[in-house]
Amino acid sequence: MSALLEQLTRRQLLWHANSQHTAYQAVPSGYAELDQQLAGGFPATGLIDIQTDTGIGELRLLLPYLQQQQSGGRLLVFLSPLAEPCADMLCAAGIVLSQLVIITPKTGKDALWAAEQCLQSGCCASVLLWQVPLKQAQARRLQLAAEQGAASLILLRRPQQGLSLPVNLSIKLQAHRQGVLLSVQKRKGGWPAAPFLVDMQNRWPGLCFSTEQHWQARRKAS
Amino acid sequence: MALYLYLQFPALQPDSLGCTAAQQLPVAVVNEQHCIVQLNTVAEQQGIALNMALGTAAALCHNLQLLPYQTQLQLNILQSVARQLYQVTADIALDPPDGLYIRLCNMLQLYQGLAGYWQALKHELQLLPYRYYYACGTSPFAAKCLARQQLNLLSGEPDVLASALNHSPLRFTELDTDSQQQLQRLGINTLGQLLALSQAELARRFDSSLLSYLGRLRGSFYHALHYIKPEHSFSRYVELLYDITDTAVLSMPLHSLLLQLEQQLQRINAACHQLQLGLLFRGMPAYQLSIGSAQGEYRAANWLKLCQLQLEKLKLTEPVSGLQLEVTAFVLQQSQSDDLFQPAPSAVSALQLVSLLQARLGYHSVSGLILQNQHLPEHASQRPLPLLAGKAAVAALALRPAFLLAKPERLTEAVEINHGPERLCPNGWVLEAQRDYFIGRNSKGQWLWLYRTAQQQWFVQGIFS
Repeated sequence: MSALLEQLTRRQLLWHANSQHTAYQAVPSGYAELDQQLAGGFPATGLIDIQTDTGIGELRLLLPYLQQQQSGGRLLVFLSPLAEPCADMLCAAGIVLSQLVIITPKTGKDALWAAEQCLQSGCCASVLLWQVPLKQAQARRLQLAAEQGAASLILLRRPQQGLSLPVNLSIKLQAHRQGVLLSVQKRKGGWPAAPFLVDMQNRWPGLCFSTEQHWQARRKAS
Repeated sequence: MALYLYLQFPALQPDSLGCTAAQQLPVAVVNEQHCIVQLNTVAEQQGIALNMALGTAAALCHNLQLLPYQTQLQLNILQSVARQLYQVTADIALDPPDGLYIRLCNMLQLYQGLAGYWQALKHELQLLPYRYYYACGTSPFAAKCLARQQLNLLSGEPDVLASALNHSPLRFTELDTDSQQQLQRLGINTLGQLLALSQAELARRFDSSLLSYLGRLRGSFYHALHYIKPEHSFSRYVELLYDITDTAVLSMPLHSLLLQLEQQLQRINAACHQLQLGLLFRGMPAYQLSIGSAQGEYRAANWLKLCQLQLEKLKLTEPVSGLQLEVTAFVLQQSQSDDLFQPAPSAVSALQLVSLLQARLGYHSVSGLILQNQHLPEHASQRPLPLLAGKAAVAALALRPAFLLAKPERLTEAVEINHGPERLCPNGWVLEAQRDYFIGRNSKGQWLWLYRTAQQQWFVQGIFS
């Protein structure tokens, strides 16, 4: 019996239920509840799909992860960011600005080309790509490039229906007064999870309404 | 004993046409008098000879390809040959239009004799596409005279050289045709007969130029040669055999130019940061492309990749007829040390990646980010060239948005204010221009960076992301 098992294992025909946590190497995200849900954190390599509205805290969620990715001395690339990135905020979050490259290509095609080059090169740790429509074949190509260069590509796009992309991790973010509401849609070697709150009150008190503030009178500006 | 070598290249222009298609066609070079001055081997086999009139040549061979004789091009090719040979031999002087003087005597010790020297030189010559004839001589003119007879004589023995020289007909000397005719009327047909005459007799009957020539031929007069010195630059021109409209096809001749550059750079252990590539057209001024590599590169394959990225973007309105490649400055090659335990063996360094991106996306599409010591948010972040380290001493302000809008927009929706005000004033403390900044959250849950002007108008300047 064991000889047969061994043979099957060697031919990679057997799947062990306990081998699922080796689907990817995880990097702690800096948020304890998120690490617990994602079994260790964000993937160190491969594609990470984040479906989110802009400005609800998606970059704040990623900053500790990006900082760790960058700590090996490799580059961090911002590809077609929405507006001018602000040095103050990134610097305060511990991002080394000399290892940050911002690329503003004119077309989506150029953006994908640049993403592939950066991922393949092996000198980039993470590439953030904003709002570029992606087909499945393109996503697969980027996934291969990312594996080749041991880099991660983070896709930030609006919530959308459609075929899911071949990614290591797909999450959806929703705005919340104390942080962001995160739901795991797809995880390699794991199960989707129900929405849960990633609390940012400790890290970003200025950008959260504390629970006591609820009763306070709302000041409106118009 | 002084020893010189003369190399004669009979067909520099036809041989410089690199492509194989050109080597299968009969090619001839015609001067302004419609006389054939250079030939390739195919044309020779068809029965065409040097100094043949153009009409005769065209009648002999219907598909003869003609090139005009270009003095400057000839000189350029000769210079490039000399630069190539400089790698193995020190003293080279140009003899335009088609010859090179090489002083041998002080190189023999290095190569342990003539045989070793010739082996090294021949190896270098074989890398080049040009046919050549050669001969040694005890003086530059003697070597030249023997080489022009296509003797291919290589010897250090003075007797052998002297006897070969004595048998040389006068038409291979540097004497003008008048003197040659005069000498022939006297019954003097070979150089040996001329050298046997006493100088005093010659001085009475002929002008001084004959005497000075003979003196330099014997080696008794000083013959000043202008030896070349290596330059730290690269400049090559290649004439395309047919006009090229497709930029992809252009990479073939470009690659051969880049290989030449690689050879030169590799020899002196150098690299270069910038190439100037000129695309020459027939009816338009040349188009200049400058291609940069932030790291400094010498390999042809890498340069070709960068060039191709720039060429792809280019729309050619007219076919390209020639390529000019120039490098003005060389730098020392710097070897970079990689981390032994790096997770991915990075084939490309960060600087190489940046050059690659710049080549395709444009120079200004790739930038870095530095923090300036400024209190106004729009001045605090600057986008210089990538991979530059900024001042480390600047303290960052934590509560700033991740993205600043290029131009503040008017606030048009209801927001919930969470933080503020923070009053910022532009330089000079102009009170009318002061702004009170707030952090607010709109109904969609977006965190905005707002300001209120002194006129009580509200604007959105940034987005916390």
